[in-house]
Amino acid sequence: MKHLRAMFLAPSVFFTVVLFLIPLTIIVSYSLRTRGVYGGVVDPWTIENYARLFDPLYGMIMVRSVLMSLAATALCLLAGFPTALFIVRNEKHKSLLLNLIMLPFWTSFLVRTYAWMFLLRDTGLINSALMAMGIIKEPLPLLYNETAVIVGLVYGYLPFAVLPIFSNLERLDKALLEAAADLGAKPWEAMFHVVLPLCAPGLRAAGVLVFIPCLGAYLTPDLLGGGKSIMIGNLIQNQFTTARDWPFGSAISLALMAGVMALLIVLIRRDGEEAL
Amino acid sequence: MITRRAALSIALVTGCSRSSAKRLNVFNWSAYVAPETVPNFEKQAGAKVRYSIYESNEEMLARVFSGNSGWDVVFPTHYIVPPMREQHLLADLDHTRLPNLKNLDALFKSPVSDPSLSHSMPYMWNATGILYNTNQGPAPTSWADLWAPHWKGHLTMLDDPAEVFAAALRKLGHSLNSRNPVELLAAQKEAIAQKQLLRAYLNTEVRDQAVAGDVLIAQLWSTTAQQAIDAAKHLAFVYPKEGFPLSLDCAVILRESPRQEIAHEFLNYLLEAGVSARIAETMRTATANAAARPLLTQATQSNATLYPSPETLANAEWFATITPDAQRLRDRLWTEIKSA
Repeated sequence: MKHLRAMFLAPSVFFTVVLFLIPLTIIVSYSLRTRGVYGGVVDPWTIENYARLFDPLYGMIMVRSVLMSLAATALCLLAGFPTALFIVRNEKHKSLLLNLIMLPFWTSFLVRTYAWMFLLRDTGLINSALMAMGIIKEPLPLLYNETAVIVGLVYGYLPFAVLPIFSNLERLDKALLEAAADLGAKPWEAMFHVVLPLCAPGLRAAGVLVFIPCLGAYLTPDLLGGGKSIMIGNLIQNQFTTARDWPFGSAISLALMAGVMALLIVLIRRDGEEAL
Repeated sequence: MITRRAALSIALVTGCSRSSAKRLNVFNWSAYVAPETVPNFEKQAGAKVRYSIYESNEEMLARVFSGNSGWDVVFPTHYIVPPMREQHLLADLDHTRLPNLKNLDALFKSPVSDPSLSHSMPYMWNATGILYNTNQGPAPTSWADLWAPHWKGHLTMLDDPAEVFAAALRKLGHSLNSRNPVELLAAQKEAIAQKQLLRAYLNTEVRDQAVAGDVLIAQLWSTTAQQAIDAAKHLAFVYPKEGFPLSLDCAVILRESPRQEIAHEFLNYLLEAGVSARIAETMRTATANAAARPLLTQATQSNATLYPSPETLANAEWFATITPDAQRLRDRLWTEIKSA
């Protein structure tokens, strides 16, 4: 019996240790050492990399990343809620629609981001079409600004918003809506006073699932933002590439991880673990 | 079972001992050999080459720094050679095994990064200048032209701190390798002022956008610019009059490599005039090999983007190796530019 338990536990222990704990330990040890001449880390041990985090320059980048991620998250929820509601109510095609939501994951995120570049460019599909229709004379500057980054983030992470809201809505007891109607609530009143409050855990879970990857995004700000405004993910990436400062890059990564962890703890306290 | 396993391990051992003579692991930049370069060497040397590619010096360094990378020959840019040598990563080049070194262009026979070529073999080089659309007003001649307001929204700079600082420093009349904080701060101010005009910081991705017409003027590497010019007649390239950076990619043999002999053979093969000319012609890069030059097509030989005149080259400055402290300052200034 004991033997069997160990056997079933082994894979998850293996993955936790090999794919999570060991890399994490390496990053922690990197973050406490000194940068090598050309990448890598050397002795001595130091906490200087953490002290540098308090530099207002990096604080500003952090604040901007949070604001951009919040904007993307809000838009994902605004678009994700009606989408999830539509799928839940569409009994006939529910699984088809859910599969359509997942469809973009069949191609690589990089390729899809490049596709957005082709849409948003001056000579891209949107500008060409608008100019052909005579709506605009000069191409609109759609690419390489913060709006393009937010559009890219919303596009990339919208499925993560739809799915938890969907599962929450599906568990909702329909009798409650009937009760609301019996008590004289109009459909929109029932939506705001019954459905939305009951769906709050789903919305929070969706928010977290979108917000966290947005915060660490580096591909989207790079490709759609044109490298003009960096997010925390780009700052980390730069430390491992052009700046060749692995210890500082590790320290920023861990700080980001700690922030995300704190957010998760707050939410778990609130909704219980099932919310996530 | 035991006998089979024993037989296998014997096969493995003999296989290994044979492969150490007959095998070579080469790690190179993407698009840096002609399609037949490696297969021809395999035939000639009777060896098997494992060939893989990378996109940045950092990517290569991250693999090689640990030691035991398994690679024999890699291609750092010249300013990466001194730190690699200091870290004892590089094998001494045995010039008696590299008779074709005589083919090198005089300009590259004694690069600042390794004057006696004791550890690195000059391979291909490029310089940084300005790619521009010839249909849009007067042709640029200087870095200062990249600050002209009429390019607003159609101008790109390289997404690389060394290059952006090089342009700004040269515009101000300083060395592009300046480590003087006052000069660097002034250059940063220039870069921040220019940011209002910028469409984006782009590297090779700018090629297609210049061809399509989204980008009208761009700071770009000569070889990438040439690829854009090949694709679109309305594009041209100029070396700014204030002076511009030169980079030279070099082949090195790693000290850890147990296959020094065949690695030297490979380097010498790359230095053959015919081999080098084929690579330069098919990949549109600029070879450091003087003997290969006459074998290129007339059009390539007289191409002023790939092979600028000696007068133009007199204006060039080699990128220097940057110290960790200087790099840290530059990265901070760069991060400030990016978040301005």
